[in-house]
Amino acid sequence: MANAFDVIVIGAGTGGYPAAIRAAQLGLRVAVVERRPTLGGTCLNVGCIPTKALLEHAHALKVAKEAKTWGLVLGDQPARIDMAQVQARKDKIVTILTRGVEFLFKKNNVTWIKGSGRIAGPGTVEVTGDQPRTLTAPQIVIATGSHARGVPGIEIDRARIITSDEAIALREVPKSIVILGSGPIGVEFATVFKRFGSDVTVVELLPRLVPLEDEAISVELEKSFKKQGIAFRVSTTVTAARAEAEKVEIDAKLPDGSSATLAAEYLLVATGRGPVTSGLGAEEAGIRMDRGYIVVDEQFRTSVPGVSAVGDVITTGKPGHPQLAHLSTAEGIALAERLAGKEFRPINYDHVPKCTYSDPEIGSVGLTEQQAVERGYDVRVGTFPFGVLGRARIANETDGLVKIVAEKKYDEILGIHMIGPRATELVSEATLALRMEVTVEELIRTIHAHPTMAEAIGEAAHATHGAAIHV
Amino acid sequence: MPDVLMPQLGESIAEGTIVRWLKRPGERVDRDEPLFEISTDKVDAEIPSPEAGVLAEVRVREGETVPVNSVVAVIADEAPGGGPPAPAIEAAGPDGEPAPARREAADASPGAGAAPPGAAAASAAGGEAGRKGRKSSPLVRRIAREHGVDIDAVPGTGLGGRVTKADITGFLEQGRTSAPAAAGAARARQDAPAAGLRVVPMSVMRRTIAEHMVRSRRTSAHAHSVFEVDYSAVAAIRAARKADYERQGVKLSYLSFVMKAASGALKAFPVLNASLDGGDIVYREDINLGVAVALDWGLIVPVVKRAGDMSVMELSRAVQDLAARARAKQLRPEEVQDGTFTITNPGSYGALFGTPIINQPQVAILDVGAIEKRVTVVGDAIAIRLKGHLALGFDHRLIDGATADRFMSHVKRALESFDADGV
Repeated sequence: MANAFDVIVIGAGTGGYPAAIRAAQLGLRVAVVERRPTLGGTCLNVGCIPTKALLEHAHALKVAKEAKTWGLVLGDQPARIDMAQVQARKDKIVTILTRGVEFLFKKNNVTWIKGSGRIAGPGTVEVTGDQPRTLTAPQIVIATGSHARGVPGIEIDRARIITSDEAIALREVPKSIVILGSGPIGVEFATVFKRFGSDVTVVELLPRLVPLEDEAISVELEKSFKKQGIAFRVSTTVTAARAEAEKVEIDAKLPDGSSATLAAEYLLVATGRGPVTSGLGAEEAGIRMDRGYIVVDEQFRTSVPGVSAVGDVITTGKPGHPQLAHLSTAEGIALAERLAGKEFRPINYDHVPKCTYSDPEIGSVGLTEQQAVERGYDVRVGTFPFGVLGRARIANETDGLVKIVAEKKYDEILGIHMIGPRATELVSEATLALRMEVTVEELIRTIHAHPTMAEAIGEAAHATHGAAIHV
Repeated sequence: MPDVLMPQLGESIAEGTIVRWLKRPGERVDRDEPLFEISTDKVDAEIPSPEAGVLAEVRVREGETVPVNSVVAVIADEAPGGGPPAPAIEAAGPDGEPAPARREAADASPGAGAAPPGAAAASAAGGEAGRKGRKSSPLVRRIAREHGVDIDAVPGTGLGGRVTKADITGFLEQGRTSAPAAAGAARARQDAPAAGLRVVPMSVMRRTIAEHMVRSRRTSAHAHSVFEVDYSAVAAIRAARKADYERQGVKLSYLSFVMKAASGALKAFPVLNASLDGGDIVYREDINLGVAVALDWGLIVPVVKRAGDMSVMELSRAVQDLAARARAKQLRPEEVQDGTFTITNPGSYGALFGTPIINQPQVAILDVGAIEKRVTVVGDAIAIRLKGHLALGFDHRLIDGATADRFMSHVKRALESFDADGV
């Protein structure tokens, strides 16, 4: 078996596997070292794909529960979820997709090497596992990704105090669950478990839900959560959590300074994800790290020549490198092109779409109103509510809005923020608009088909210039 | 109401800039009365009104550039009852996009953003057809318009050379901090004119010249060769024939003799009458002599076509006519095109000689220095002779020094032993 390659990629997640395929397409001999038994990393195995599968089930249940509204005749029993079937279907989807990556590796002559990779020296990766071996290549790519991370004072026992890794595999519907953190993972699981029938409480340290989104999105989500009966506590700090046999007790400090104890069957810790670098040998290899993340420059070079890194494991030195599957993929492809000697095209981090598959969905790209003001733009905004649209009425999904953040001088679109039906799909139009440097005027003159949810974007553009047609 | 279009002055001209409106909205205009002045990358021209009537609407502001056949104004019939429609300026922007000013004004109601019917026509005529090759974005075009920047002058770093926001803001920034070499940078500085500075945007002609000069320097391997010529023989012929010429309304200048001598030398050395096209050398059969004409507002190089077949009389007449019409802005675009070799005459201002920049895509340019009496050695004696320098700028990529010098010595010989019969 050949052990010499042009590129060794460590990690077969959404950063690593597209990097490997792209590099192979450009004529390089590529090996991918993956310690998981399947390809696809967090996203396909325990992240995006399984959670979205659960959310789709939650949506199906929502429709079934509204059977009367829809005129569906389902029998006398109220609709309920069958977790065994949910998990079976989810697992099948995951299997199909990870196998798909396997197929792509074969098709593109990417060598999959099972085991854990460790950088043993310049151009050398040692693989441990069933078949230990030493690989060499002039270029090494670290794409080891991230893992769910706890918070100080809370020990994750993976039974009662769990992370998303366990939450996607629950065989029962929790009677009650407290979710710590209201980022995408937190509010998505809040949606899933509420629909499945749990009592859900979301606890957020910061003053609003989805605190990284534009404030208007938070306001809208909080309204909708109230309507749906999802409890949430903002500006609340969890200081300790005790797992017992059947429940978890959680100590929290409330905004007024008082303490409270919350109890639930489960505590889901969804406060963020940390870099995976254990056993990688990065520090020993002399790679510069920052709080566990691998420091890279704009072209994803680490401090050690011949070693690059992409995806959740990196920091670019600026705060808040987003941990998103599609961003990892974009970085992996850009990196592969550089390694193959193609022109490197840097990534504009202001143009990375963010999707949250809660109900209602959130899709956003670009600057929030606050960020735009902080950057000194003369800002104007326009919003349009989904509820007015025919299509939203038809779908019975009337919560939410589209908000456009623009500046006055050149009519530049700085950000588009959406919460509502299909927002995670609509964000693609917004991303293209930002990427192509479209002005609000151009967006107004872009014809939006009727009846669609996308009309909300055209209307919000009108609103940015003064007034929408339909409000 | 008849539309007034941006005329197409020549086949290769895609757009024109309105330099000045000679009538105000609401003013009467006769058919064929000058209505506006335009500047293209080839020539400037006064455009007459296509109809008699009242200038109802001016759609393109002074200083704006629009594709040919764009509607620039509307002439209304004289309607004594209703009076002219309210003048609407700034209805459409330069490249068919709605003008920013209008949109800003219509802020409160985007419905009002709907273009008047005529503007839609302008929009259709504009669009991509009128644009040059450079790709950009709506935002970049908006910023360019705001700052009067020619996008073609901005280096693009996007895919396929697309000009991005970062490119144009960087370009503007550069213009603010360094010498405003780039088009539009001067106007960008108008944002905050410092005390003691007068900031004026470059004219289309100035920008064209600037771009051409820099491009030529970048394209050709410029080298120069200088010869001294004894004009005594030419002076004798000129003295003998001058009055004769004047009776026919033609001024017999030294320049015509130089043109005649150069044509002869170009026939002998066709490589100087050629151009480079990628890896090919393109030889031109016709000798079309460009003659640089200084204008108060710049420089233009009208071309004497088929100069190789012309007599001194014909050359003199042609130059005189072209120069006069250049100064009156009456040149047609084809009269400044297709030159194969250029002659420039800084000697008329007293220069000993210059080191001229080649007029692309030509490969050589002849510079005529001042002609004056000089002390010179003839045999073993000191004599006074009418002499002047000739300097040849040539593209060393194509023309070797020896070839250039042989060409020059051919010109020199022709002038020093000028054949009086042909004059």
